[in-house]
Formats: sequence, C-alpha cells, structure tokens
Amino acid sequence: MALACARCGAQNPEGNLFCSTCGNPLTAAAAAPPVAAPGWAAAAPQAAAPGPPAAAPGWAVVAPPTAAPAPVPPAAPAWGVVAPAAPPAPAAAMAYASPPVYASPYYSPTGSQRQAPVHRTPWTLIIAAVVGLIVVMAGCGTAVALLTNKASITGGITSDLPSPTPAGSPSPLASPSAIAGATSASNDYLTIPVPPGWQVAHKDSQVIALLSPNGLGSITVASGPLNPPSTAQAGKDQIDKALTTKYPGAQNCPGTRPTNGTLNGASGIFWTLCYTVVSNGNSFPAASALFVGVNSNGSIAYLLELATLAGSMDTFRVDTKPIVAGIVWKSK
Amino acid sequence: MRCDHCSHVVPDGVFCTRCGAHQGTTEEFGDAKTREHRYAAHPAEHVAQPSVFTTLFPHLGHHKIHEFRWAFIAGLAGILVLYLAGLITAAILVSAFLVPVLYLIYLYEAQVYRDEPAIVLGFTIGGGIVVGILFTVFERIVYNPFQYSNNLLANAGVNVGGLLLVGLLLPVLQEAVKPLPAFFLPNRADFPETVDGLVFGVAAGLGFSLAEALIGFSSVLTGLPARVEPGTWIYDLTTLAVFQPLLQGSATGMIVAAIWRWRRGRLAGREIGGVAMAVAAHIAFSAGTQVMKETAVNPLFILIWQAAIVGALLIYIRYVLHHALLEEAAHMGYAETVCPSCHMHIVASGFCPNCGMALTAAPTSVKRARRPRVEATPAVERKD
Repeated sequence: MALACARCGAQNPEGNLFCSTCGNPLTAAAAAPPVAAPGWAAAAPQAAAPGPPAAAPGWAVVAPPTAAPAPVPPAAPAWGVVAPAAPPAPAAAMAYASPPVYASPYYSPTGSQRQAPVHRTPWTLIIAAVVGLIVVMAGCGTAVALLTNKASITGGITSDLPSPTPAGSPSPLASPSAIAGATSASNDYLTIPVPPGWQVAHKDSQVIALLSPNGLGSITVASGPLNPPSTAQAGKDQIDKALTTKYPGAQNCPGTRPTNGTLNGASGIFWTLCYTVVSNGNSFPAASALFVGVNSNGSIAYLLELATLAGSMDTFRVDTKPIVAGIVWKSK
Repeated sequence: MRCDHCSHVVPDGVFCTRCGAHQGTTEEFGDAKTREHRYAAHPAEHVAQPSVFTTLFPHLGHHKIHEFRWAFIAGLAGILVLYLAGLITAAILVSAFLVPVLYLIYLYEAQVYRDEPAIVLGFTIGGGIVVGILFTVFERIVYNPFQYSNNLLANAGVNVGGLLLVGLLLPVLQEAVKPLPAFFLPNRADFPETVDGLVFGVAAGLGFSLAEALIGFSSVLTGLPARVEPGTWIYDLTTLAVFQPLLQGSATGMIVAAIWRWRRGRLAGREIGGVAMAVAAHIAFSAGTQVMKETAVNPLFILIWQAAIVGALLIYIRYVLHHALLEEAAHMGYAETVCPSCHMHIVASGFCPNCGMALTAAPTSVKRARRPRVEATPAVERKD
C-alpha cells in the first residue's frame, strides 16, 4: 500500500520511512490521502511513539478532561507533525486551541541577506600549505643533515676491540685489580671489573650491565647455557634481528664488517651496528660494538655489547678497554 | 511542529532545532533524544566512530572535512616519498610539523579565536610549545635509555624501572602540565563552549607534541647523514606523524574540555571519566609501546596498539562532546543561518532541523552571520 506524505501528499512506496519528495517522516497515519484544506489538527496519538509525558501541561486544552480518551480525528493532515507524542491518558483528549501550523525550517536568501561564506580557506590553499610544508621541511632537513658533522659515526669501531688471539692460545685474563680502585661484579657465569664511578645497572645469574660514569654508555656482558647448542653466527643473527626490530636504521656501521676472533678465550664474531634509539619521543644515533661467541661444543654462549652515542664510540672504546680485558668467563 | 522530546513548537524538520532530538520513530537507532547515531558535530557519523577529523576538527563542515583529509593524506604521501628516498631527517621534520600545521589552518578556517588570534594562539599552540620544550629537556635529563639496558642474550627483557618512568610517571606528568596554557587563557570567558575548550586543548597538545618531537629528535636531525638506508624508519615516522600528535592533542583536548565543563558547572561522571580516560590512554600508549619495543615485537603490532588507543580516546571525546553540544546548543535563539554541514539556509535555534548539526560547532563566520528571528513559528496559546 502506498503511503501518502502528510506534508506534501506525494505517494511513497510502502516501507519508506521518509517522504521521497520532501523528506517528511512517514507515519502510518499518513497512509490516508491528505484532505483538501490542510488545516491543523492534533496528530493521531500513537501508543508506541516516544514522547514527553510532561509536555502536555501548560498548553490550553479545548476538550474537557474526561476519563475516556476523546476520539482522534482520523488521518489528520498535520503539516510537519512527526510521530506525535502519546500523552498520558488524561491528556489524550487534548486539542490545542491555537495549533501550530507548518513552519518551514528553510528560508530563501535575498540579495541583501547574503550570508557570510561558510568556508574561508580555498582547498587549493590548504593543499598548497601542506605541499609547501613538505618542500620547506625537506629542504631544511637535508640542509641540516648536510651541514652538521657526521664523521664520528663512520668506520672502524670494531677495529680496536681486543685483538683476536689465535684460536687455542691461552687468553690473557686480566684481573680486576689491574684497574686502580676497581671492584668486581660477578654472577654464575662471569666476572667483570667495575672501575670507580661505574654503576652496576643490572645483574642477574647470566647478565651484568654497567653504566658509565657520565651515563652515556653501557657495557652489557652475558654468558649462559644454550639449549639446544648453537653457533656464534646464529647468536649474531638473533641479535641483529632484535636490534633491527627495536631500532630504526640498524645496520653495520659504515666502513666496518664482521670479523671472527676471540675475546678472553671465547671464540666468536665481532661486529659494530649503528642505529637510532627512539624511546618515548626521545631519539639519538647510537652504536653498539658487539661480540658473540660460543664454546667448543656450542653449549655456552658469551656476549658483550658496548653501547653509546654514535659520536662517542671512539672515546668509549678506549675508556672501556681495561674493563673488557678484565672479563672472566667462568664456563668454558 | 511540536518536538517529541522537549515539546517546544519548532520549525518542522527531521531534528528539533531546539534540543536536537531526532523526530519520529527511530527505535532502530536507539534513543532519539540522545541520538548517538547522529554525532552532533557531524550528523552523518555515529558517535562511536573513531574519526580523527570530525572529532578534533569539529567546526569543519561536510565538504571542508574532506579537503583536510586529502591534505593530510598528501602530507603522509610526502613523508612516504621522503622515506623511500632515504631522506630521513627531512621526513622527521615533515612528520613533526604535519598535524600542527593542519590544525593551524583549521583554526584560521574556523576562526575559533574570533577577534583575538594572538592571545588564543599564543596561549594554546605557543604555550604548548614552551611547555613542551621545558618538559622534554627535563625528560632527557631524568631518562637515560642506557641506564635501562636489557638482556640481549635472552632477547625479552623489560626493565621495570624504565617502564615505570617512561610508561607511568612521565605520561601522568605530561597530562598535568599540557593543559596549563589553555587553563590560563586570559580571555577564556569569551569562549564558554565545551567545543572551544576541546579545540584549545588540542591546540596546546599539538604545540607540546611539536616541541617534543623537535627536541627529542634533535640529536638525530643533527646526527644522521642526509641520506640513509630507510630500514624500519617507516614505523617510527608513522608514530611521529600520526599517533603521537593525535594522542597528545586528543588527551589534552579531553582534559581541557572537562575543565571547560567544570567552569560551566557541568562536571559529572562523564567528564571525570574523560580525564581518567585521557591519562589512562597516555599511560597505555607509552607503556605498551615501551614494552613491545623492549621485547622486540613486530613494529606493526606497535602501530596497531597505538591506533587502538588513539581510536578509543577519540570515541570517548566524541561521546563527551556530543552530549555537551546537545546541552549547550539549546540556549541559542532563533535565527536565519546556513548549516555548515548540509549547507541549507535554515531557520534554526541550536540545531539544524535538516541534518541535526549542533550550530554551536559552526565556524565563527557563520555564527556571526546569524540573523535573529523573534519567533520561529506562529504563537500558540499557552495556559499560563
């Protein structure tokens, strides 16, 4: 059954919620055709329609309140009345003395009533601003990168690590007492000298981490059993993957390449990674000189990491040389 | 017609122009009075839709929103090109500036500052930048990543001390200081609406985010070569360009909006929950990111986590703003105006009778052009 719009009379297919011509909501009451003279009548109350029961008080009523609801004018063509409220029982008999008539929500602006434009900024200007931002910032970023000194992060970080000793030869085991005033930190698998000013930042059964006196570098040394047995190359791959995942731009520092050697009796691989630490909005270029090794049957792993700012690696390497030389692997 | 919900006689329309209630039977959408299927600032969307622009740029009309979206996409495309070219320092700079610059254009477009751009922009974006510089310098003093090294051998270490500092203490402190510029805005009485507070808070948060990015990445900007291997930089660039500014802006916006509600005497559970939500979201964002980075989780999951946090925060902001707009638009008198959303010439009070947009969220130029009408409808006899 076609539904006739209560506002404009247009016929709408069954199932439409709104008039396809004027957008007026269609109610069941609107199914009947509009009367010729669209005057006011209170819309048919609908029990299911939501409405404010408190709305009725305050409005003049024509019909005296009676217990029985007054009959509802059938199919009243109330302009714009949408899903009228269902007043409480006493109010159901109300009719408004001066009923609202259709009030258009629209107006037609005349020449003298021109509204200010809704938009101020042309879209071309918005896009141009963003493109300009990209161009200017790209230029600034490139200029800053070109003009600042980057020499400190390139090349040779691993070259001065403890020299690889021939395989099988006894390692020179430095004692902690070789560093004046040094104490030592020890766990189940290793011992490391702790010079004055250095802090033990972390210590557990396998790992000891030291923080430099100025706080801008750390030494992490670790050893522990491997189950199943593995190789130094597998350990290196695992560390590379971890650092590459954690830090953007992680790669071998320019001018360096992995080399095989031994560190205090442990055979393994030396290499140097450059990367950028991004942590909680702070970021800086960093470098790690790394060693990973295993014992002869691959059941014990040895690991050393010197981490500091990329530009400070040369100085840090020199400062930490006595400490690195003093590392003692307890399990061979 | 008479509104189904407030019973006032109002011009005919799908929405009551006085209270904003959706007229008619709308059970399929839920409560017609709160009409959460029709977000008050942009009625084409549901309140629970995590849309960035219609939430944080609430004064933009239907068409303008798309222009800003395209501009944002153009900016992201530019960052992608710079990344692929290996120009990481340039990409970092564009990422840091993209959202704050878009917001500056938005403030100009909507003229939220009305006649006092210097004071408003100075106290919001400018104040946010100053607070951001001071806080980030302090942060770099107290937080040293080398202090919280973990076990490379185990490859799964999370340092509790570092996590408490980065994931709990610093986010809480940030949320305490970021709203200060907007809080001390001297002419705040001229901007009483909650939507004003939200926008000022977002502006202050974005100023903070810009300063945080520039200070935080200063070492990289001066330390990286002009061209490097792109590697996994795209993940951190995405955080820097999208999620970090959105988190900082929306969290501060939420808190400042709650302050504005408190000043109107409307502080209730919804607003208090908003403040808690902002702080909790920041903690979850920072702590979750820190934990996943330390445990070497795939960076894509970090981005998904960050997007989920920001999305949840955006939805809560929309929820608070939607109800604030429904309350606060009711005081507006009848006037002839143009709806910024559907562009109809309407006779309206607080809401567009055609699309339901809350007209308090209209740009200043539109609000100023309203031509008051004494009555919107013929008088009806009242029993007084």
